[in-house]
Amino acid sequence: MILYSMRNVSRCFGEKKVLDLEELEIEKGHIYALLGPNGSGKTTLLNIMGFLDQPTSGQVWFKEKQVFFNERTLQKHRRKVVMVQQNPILFTTSVYKNLEFGLKVRKISKEQRRKIIDESLDLVGLRHMINEPAHKLSGGETQRVVLARALALTPEVILCDEPTASVDLENQLAITRLLKDINSEKGITLVFTSHDKSQASALPHFKLFLEQGRISVMSYENTFPAKIFSLDEQYSTCVIQNELELNIPLKKAGPCRLRIEPELIVLSTSIPEPAEPNTMTGRILRISEDIKGIRIGIDCRIHLTAIISKADYQNLSLFVGNTVTVNIPPQAVTILDSRI
Amino acid sequence: MDFLLDSLVSAVLMAISFDKELIEIVWVSLRVSSSSTALASIIGVPLGIFIAFENFRGKRLLITILNTMLALPTVAIGLFVYALISRRGIFGPLDLLYSQKAIIIGQVILITPVIITFTIAAINHIDERYRKTAMTLGANRRQTAIVIFLEARYGIIAAIVAAFGRVISEIGISMMLGGNARGFTRTITTAMALEYDKGEFVLAVALGIILITISFGLNLLFHVLQGRGSK
Repeated sequence: MILYSMRNVSRCFGEKKVLDLEELEIEKGHIYALLGPNGSGKTTLLNIMGFLDQPTSGQVWFKEKQVFFNERTLQKHRRKVVMVQQNPILFTTSVYKNLEFGLKVRKISKEQRRKIIDESLDLVGLRHMINEPAHKLSGGETQRVVLARALALTPEVILCDEPTASVDLENQLAITRLLKDINSEKGITLVFTSHDKSQASALPHFKLFLEQGRISVMSYENTFPAKIFSLDEQYSTCVIQNELELNIPLKKAGPCRLRIEPELIVLSTSIPEPAEPNTMTGRILRISEDIKGIRIGIDCRIHLTAIISKADYQNLSLFVGNTVTVNIPPQAVTILDSRI
Repeated sequence: MDFLLDSLVSAVLMAISFDKELIEIVWVSLRVSSSSTALASIIGVPLGIFIAFENFRGKRLLITILNTMLALPTVAIGLFVYALISRRGIFGPLDLLYSQKAIIIGQVILITPVIITFTIAAINHIDERYRKTAMTLGANRRQTAIVIFLEARYGIIAAIVAAFGRVISEIGISMMLGGNARGFTRTITTAMALEYDKGEFVLAVALGIILITISFGLNLLFHVLQGRGSK
């Protein structure tokens, strides 16, 4: 389901146009990363998506209904979307009252409020701080309480502006894991801005690159432009970025975009046979732990991400800089668009 | 020097022995000042919140006028209210002149701009993120305003404390509209002026000590509240 749809949306501050989007669609249940330099319009876009600001021009649809930017409609939509600001702020009261605010606004009963607050604080591991004054929390704790405050409201979308910008490494990992869990377990759509390259590569399903208010690239992990040349009745050769050839079971030919499923890529340390199809060597660029296993970034003429199990990782003894053999089975390739 | 020391000692003795006349004057002062501060707060705080929150035509001009009114001389207010409530004034039939009510009216005019401008400043001082946070958590305009009010509460209380400090120490309005009637409209400041005229310094010094103590206490409270508000 398309959650947000935007057409010709612009936002100007005085003479300056800080956002200028031709078209943007955000699908339900995915994680999106908004990337780009300072002043590229990331926060402005988040504010519009959070219904905290209105575009100067253009149309926005939310859940397939056009959004009319009047206070009543916006307030209705805000109940489904929670924005976590960069350097978020807690009200000058206890942690409990901070979480209670949004629930009270929604007229949820006192007993129910208590239950939801306990559960939300459990999720971020801070239930023991329920009665603490909010201003006594550290940066990382504040960020986690803010996420618990958002989660307590069971929104359909959580928008996070630089969620780990002002916290230490330990909390960064905890927050990244939490964001992933929120998406995978509760199905909440997540849109976040980030400067953190590892977070931006580990977390999202989609990456949107903003530059001077425009979306310059929209990329999906392991998604590439390619050209398909028909080989025979059953197979075609697919050339990715003019660099890599793969044999895939497809009859058609032409330009396309394709995705290689990271979990279906097979890695080994044995030397590949010269004629072995869909097999190549690559150099390991990065290794990180992922909720699904171990995420390995490989340079094999194209930059590819593979996810392998922890057991495989230990057996293969992989290190950054090692050469590894990459096998891409045909079933790992999905053709994304229908230009062919 | 001996004269000053003698007056001071006698004044301290008078204050600690709870002299009846002294207590009466202090009570009138506190009563009148508290009433005018309460009334001005009821008018000024909501107006300050409204002006801070809403964008309307002439807002900047209104704030400039309010800022100018902070420097209104008490005698000018005294004269203006006198013109309204004296026998020949439009409110003459209400028989307000030389009553505590008359002093309260004048003092309300004096401190309402103080409370409004300080409230506006306290609210404008509040981080924009509070408003955005309240809104994204689903609050409507009224609920958002309550959040901002609660966050600005120390600043607003400080405004009220400052206003009380202003009225307890003013003399022009109390003298012109109250008439300095003993036991009725005689306040600390008017009593001090009268005792000075009479050359009786003991009561004047005792009242001065009390006034300075009240002012010091209020200033201390003001700074404590401002400190908490800026946390």
